[in-house]
Amino acid sequence: MFLPFFEWCDGLAISQAYRQSLYLFALTQSLHLVAVTTFFGAILIGDLRLLGWGPVAQSRAGIARSAQSVLLWAGLAVLVTGIPQFTTHALTYQRSPIFVFKMCLLAAALAFTATLRRRVAAADEGRLPSWVPRAVGAVSLALWMGVTISGRLITFYG
Amino acid sequence: MPSIVPALEWLEGLAWTTAIRESVWGYPMIETAHVASIVAFAGLVIMMDLRLVGLAFTHAPLAQIQRRLFPWQIAGLVPSTATGLLLCCIDPMRYYGNVFFRVKLALLALAGLNAVVFHLKTYRRAERWDEDPQATATARLAGVVSLLLWSGTIVSGRLIAYNWFA
Repeated sequence: MFLPFFEWCDGLAISQAYRQSLYLFALTQSLHLVAVTTFFGAILIGDLRLLGWGPVAQSRAGIARSAQSVLLWAGLAVLVTGIPQFTTHALTYQRSPIFVFKMCLLAAALAFTATLRRRVAAADEGRLPSWVPRAVGAVSLALWMGVTISGRLITFYG
Repeated sequence: MPSIVPALEWLEGLAWTTAIRESVWGYPMIETAHVASIVAFAGLVIMMDLRLVGLAFTHAPLAQIQRRLFPWQIAGLVPSTATGLLLCCIDPMRYYGNVFFRVKLALLALAGLNAVVFHLKTYRRAERWDEDPQATATARLAGVVSLLLWSGTIVSGRLIAYNWFA
């Protein structure tokens, strides 16, 4: 169904430039990992706070608010470095179950972070039963760790 | 100077290192655990660095946030070190000849040194960080150095997969 899209990605000038260069893909991949690490750090500090650990002297909303700008900038860097990696090997990834799994998990993690996690982090501390932020923190951590791990496994089994 | 190559070859020839190296799942699983723990450890270090530099979490007192993040940074450092050492044992000759591995080790040593100096010297003035402009400037510098060194460590670590200068 998506084959024409993958073929279009594969034929882009940037994809060809990446395939022809010895260094471009590797350097982009390395910067992608720095961006992913920063993004994950901003998620983790928020999740630790939701779980009732980490910087507990600060409010959940305060940590989430401050982490948000890091998430946005690091997320942008993840995208900018991730897209050329995808287009360069679009036809390979199209057949990769792990890549498809990662993308589904990523969509779930993004949706969860932008909706439920965001609302729970912003809610007044006394308003919710204590298990709610803890559960949200645990689910968020599991989702994002799953995205990171499946992303790494693409190299081995993609 | 005696060469360490015979010791590495001995390590490479051991039954258990050979078994893991040749198994389908052994190496990828350890490597993935290494990356997952690094992302957690370095992610929290970068959050602290961004606070030191004054780019994020500025509403939280420096000393307080560092004290609360430190145990979690260590919780990420322990498995990342253990899996990293295991990877070196499994395929020592591959890493020995790799330029990026050597660069990574050098950057890692510098990042570790920066962290130790920071904890021993700057950290003692932690309570004054948020009032004392000099302490703030030192903390800011430590944050920038740490950000550069850890980013460099991650980049060179990822590039180990590419042995361009063999």
